[in-house]
Amino acid sequence: MSVRRIALAAAVAAAGLLAVLALVDAPGEVTGESPLLGAPAPAVVGTTIDDASFSLERRKGSWVVLNFFNSTCVPCIAEHPALVAFAAREAGLTDGAELYTVVNDDSDDAVREFFARRGGDWPKVRDDDGAIAVAFGVARVPETWVIDPAGFVRLRVLGELAPGALEARLDALRAAGSS
Amino acid sequence: MTSLAAPVRPSRRRAAWATLVLAAAALLAVGALRDGGPRTQQDRIEAITGRLACPTCAGESVRVSRAVAAESIRAEVARQVAAGTRADDEIVGYVAARFGAQVLLLPRASGFDALAWGLPVAVGVLALAGVAAAFVRWRRTPAGAADGAAPRPRTSPAGRVARASAVAALAVGAGWLVGRQSGERLPGQSLTGGIEDSTASLLARARASTFSDPASALELYAEVLALDPDQVEALTYRGWLVWLVARGAEDATLRDRAVAGVVADLERATAIDARYPDAHCFLGIVRFRHAGDAPGAKAALDRCAALDPPSEVRGFVDAIRAEVDAAAGG
Repeated sequence: MSVRRIALAAAVAAAGLLAVLALVDAPGEVTGESPLLGAPAPAVVGTTIDDASFSLERRKGSWVVLNFFNSTCVPCIAEHPALVAFAAREAGLTDGAELYTVVNDDSDDAVREFFARRGGDWPKVRDDDGAIAVAFGVARVPETWVIDPAGFVRLRVLGELAPGALEARLDALRAAGSS
Repeated sequence: MTSLAAPVRPSRRRAAWATLVLAAAALLAVGALRDGGPRTQQDRIEAITGRLACPTCAGESVRVSRAVAAESIRAEVARQVAAGTRADDEIVGYVAARFGAQVLLLPRASGFDALAWGLPVAVGVLALAGVAAAFVRWRRTPAGAADGAAPRPRTSPAGRVARASAVAALAVGAGWLVGRQSGERLPGQSLTGGIEDSTASLLARARASTFSDPASALELYAEVLALDPDQVEALTYRGWLVWLVARGAEDATLRDRAVAGVVADLERATAIDARYPDAHCFLGIVRFRHAGDAPGAKAALDRCAALDPPSEVRGFVDAIRAEVDAAAGG
């Protein structure tokens, strides 16, 4: 086999590998399965890091987005600008979704410092004993869940959110709900 | 020459074997059904977490793992054991319904998982049948067959098919039985894990049909209130739906009576949970629209706004807010 053919084969193999890696690493596109999808959301309760009470049942009537988060998790840091943009867009809508961060295995101070540095003024709910994570079956962060105004779980996204991906999915859910 | 030992009769030998098999079965049954005595909460927690796999580690149970997810599950199990409202199987089912069947250390008795129990047994039965068939064939082969003696009589093809079918049926049946008896069976679990049809489910269904099918929604809220008369959301939305229907009634007496029931529902909801915004919001709207009570409506709407109502309800309030403020003088 000539050197040229070997080089060509190596180039094709490398391109294929790169394509596979690019597909595997594409963030925000992994929607997860869960028995909870299409079922009523668990009636989780908690307090925010500002000591306000939180009850998911009481948020019926709004689209609710729960983002499970840890300030040291790299994909959480990477997706944060996408969440800030999402929150800004939703704040301008009459039926805008309510975004909540659910803090997973992290301290109030670390979370405060994270949001002070990177922006985002939505509520951050403590989950010190992991009850909210277990209720949703969250084993790793980040994970993002969408609950509709009737209280049904509609979407689970595993891993990092791509910019604009959450907006697109929520718009699709809204359109499906109103049709 | 005669043997010293008397020959054992076949019937006695069979009786001895039967006794041995029965004794073994009885001992196994006693061992399986033995009551280990009352268990402490810690015993229960350890037993339950020992049946669950850590969802983020390889080959570790929740009982031994130090991973965050495992610790969260352990805390949830401890909480549910302390609450005392769920049996062990129900707690395992709760976790499996959320994390999926992969957290079950024992494969389930249904669906694809049942193969883990049934397949080895079925293969074992087939192997035993094969060995038995080989022995039978060797015993039938005459000593001089290899030297040109008469060949042994052969079974007909239909007989062979019948025997093979019987063995296969026995193997599958044994596998199925073992799978059913040994696999993890959880209450209310389907293949993917089911969520119980509880008050939450009734409420969510009622909420979804509030505007599209108010009659069904009212029935569902009534079902919830039959289960839990103090359910604040059901009280509030039953009141709101009745108001939406009653406000258009031409018979003033009928309308007043219906609205009195609506106000009673909403006031009861605010008394049970003063922090539930929706009840305050609807109370304000009803007070203003039906009774023209602007100050009373304003007080309720102010309380509603302070409690941060969800966007759907906030939309109703925003539509009336300016009118109420003007009528209440500011």
